[in-house]
Amino acid sequence: MSGSIQAPAIDARGITRVYKAKPKDVTALAGIDLEVAPGEFFGLLGPNGAGKTTLIKILTTLLLPSAGTARIFGFDVATETRKIRRIMNMVAGGEQSGYGILEAREQLWMFSQFYGLGAREGWRRVDELIDAVGLAEQRNQRVSTLSTGQRQKMNFARGLLNDPWVFFLDEPTLGLDVSAARSVRELIVGWRAAVPGRTVLLTTHYMAEADELCERIAIVDRGRILAIGSPAELKRRVQRESIFRLELDRLAGGPGGLARLPGVVSAVAALNAPADPDAPVRQAVVINLVLREDSALAGVVAALDGLGAHIVALAKSEPSLEDVFVELVGRGFDDNEEAARSNEVPVEPHEAGQPDPEEKR
Amino acid sequence: MIDAGLVEGERFDPGRARGRGTIDLLRSFRTAAALGWKMEANWTDPVLFFIYSVAKPVASALILVFMLQVIAGPAGIALRPFVIVGSALWSFVVSGVAGLAWAVLDDRERYRMLKYIYVSPSSFITILLGRGIARLAVGAMGAGITLAVGVIVLGVPFNLGDIDWLLLAIVLVLGAVTICALAVVMAAVCLQTRQESWDYPEVVVGALFLVVGAVFPLSVLPLPLQAFGLVSPLTWWIAGVRQALFPGGPSSIGGPGSLWQQLAGTLNPSAFEVVVALLLSGAVVTLASAILFRSGEARAKDRGLIDRTTGS
Repeated sequence: MSGSIQAPAIDARGITRVYKAKPKDVTALAGIDLEVAPGEFFGLLGPNGAGKTTLIKILTTLLLPSAGTARIFGFDVATETRKIRRIMNMVAGGEQSGYGILEAREQLWMFSQFYGLGAREGWRRVDELIDAVGLAEQRNQRVSTLSTGQRQKMNFARGLLNDPWVFFLDEPTLGLDVSAARSVRELIVGWRAAVPGRTVLLTTHYMAEADELCERIAIVDRGRILAIGSPAELKRRVQRESIFRLELDRLAGGPGGLARLPGVVSAVAALNAPADPDAPVRQAVVINLVLREDSALAGVVAALDGLGAHIVALAKSEPSLEDVFVELVGRGFDDNEEAARSNEVPVEPHEAGQPDPEEKR
Repeated sequence: MIDAGLVEGERFDPGRARGRGTIDLLRSFRTAAALGWKMEANWTDPVLFFIYSVAKPVASALILVFMLQVIAGPAGIALRPFVIVGSALWSFVVSGVAGLAWAVLDDRERYRMLKYIYVSPSSFITILLGRGIARLAVGAMGAGITLAVGVIVLGVPFNLGDIDWLLLAIVLVLGAVTICALAVVMAAVCLQTRQESWDYPEVVVGALFLVVGAVFPLSVLPLPLQAFGLVSPLTWWIAGVRQALFPGGPSSIGGPGSLWQQLAGTLNPSAFEVVVALLLSGAVVTLASAILFRSGEARAKDRGLIDRTTGS
């Protein structure tokens, strides 16, 4: 099969990866099936050691699978590596990479040559990307003098040199401060939005990041995909009821009257004070309202008129992706490393100090 | 918004997946060589550059010359050209063979860039050769300076008019290819190993030093080691350069009672025989290195070693 635009951007079937290690073999991936459409922003969300980095290494032709096949726009990762490398690029976070002796602009130009750009075209593209990622002031600065965030921006510029069809981002904001991480996320979103069809595969263990950026997410744990869907779809899996936070100016008779309305599971006073401590004191009532479904809200709003109450604020409380993970796995992200240690779950080299995955079976 | 200067519709050109063959190779090689030169030559630290690229090879040569002087007395003076040439060439061998291996280890362990280079569409081996060629150039400078010190300071008789330029050109080209081939083998080895393999190239080259006639003739070695020396292209390369620079001087290969004399029936190999032996043994080593690198790269990729770091 040869590559084409009609093919899925990423098509992985039964990807398995087993490392031979002492005292026992480590299964990093246990039969991953994944299809990402061209133009999609897809996320792999999972704790350290879930297998995300191993999968990205296989998809970027850095590592061979023990079993299974994977194709990038129809090109096989095992046999058509050169073709894949021309149409994809990757950026990893959490590392201090770069040739310290070179200036930022020089290093980028060097890679432009490795990506087959002509000398003049290479400089033009480098200058364009340096400006785009906000490194204009550092363009002639040595790489060794750049901050972690600046290095990551430079790394992004390198990853965009060949304008990849598929951009693999492996924990791109790992180790960055809040401001730098936000800046990097804006870069990703900006780059993708500029031209329709650009595909991104992002691995992260930051749930808010996955929620904010990804159109679809695969939740990964211990080498397996547990669920795939949009963030909203995934959350709906655990949200069997609709939860609202309702703030009223007053409520005669208390929230008990609301609890008896059709479709209302419960209505409980949550707080009897204004949210803003500096605001004038008023008799606000805050209610946690649990409904069987969203449509029951209309009946509640109609009933409030009859009770002489006016809505000050209304917000729907949604479950987080962590709730989804807990529902699927039975433990939180934070519990994972301890569980991994006690159960000898594989810990990915990139993510956790390399357990020396020497051999593949 | 980042559009990298591209417009919609340009992105899915199937031709992008094909590349431009030789042009891309040459561009990658040239760029890698420039990078290597900038990094390996330590131009930013002239003291380091002087120590490793000038003082070290010159000091090695001087040590050998003075040892010869102590042991052989006045007779040792006649052997100075032999020792100086061998010693100078050996610094070139060490730099060349270590170049690619150190590029692998540097990029993987120190700069953490090997994976990005590896997943670029350029030929991996071409980039490594580019990096290595810079170190070879630095080694050549060291060799040249050592020879100059030998001529100027130690009075080694040297006459430009006596040089067999054709032989010198041929053996230098063949020798450079052979050294690059050995460097490729070491790079393949270091792809499989950890950071302690920094010393591997020098260990291997140090072992070869004994059997290729660098500073003493093969005839002083036991026959099995002489046989090993005769199949090594480095032996023929060093002998060829000596023969080109100092025609009629002592040979490291032949001599009374040597294995060469027993096999060929002549005291020393002729220039033609040296070139043919270098060509054949160099071709075998080059072919073997290509196979070894290919299999070594495949093994490293299979076992996840391309981007493995050891936390140094």
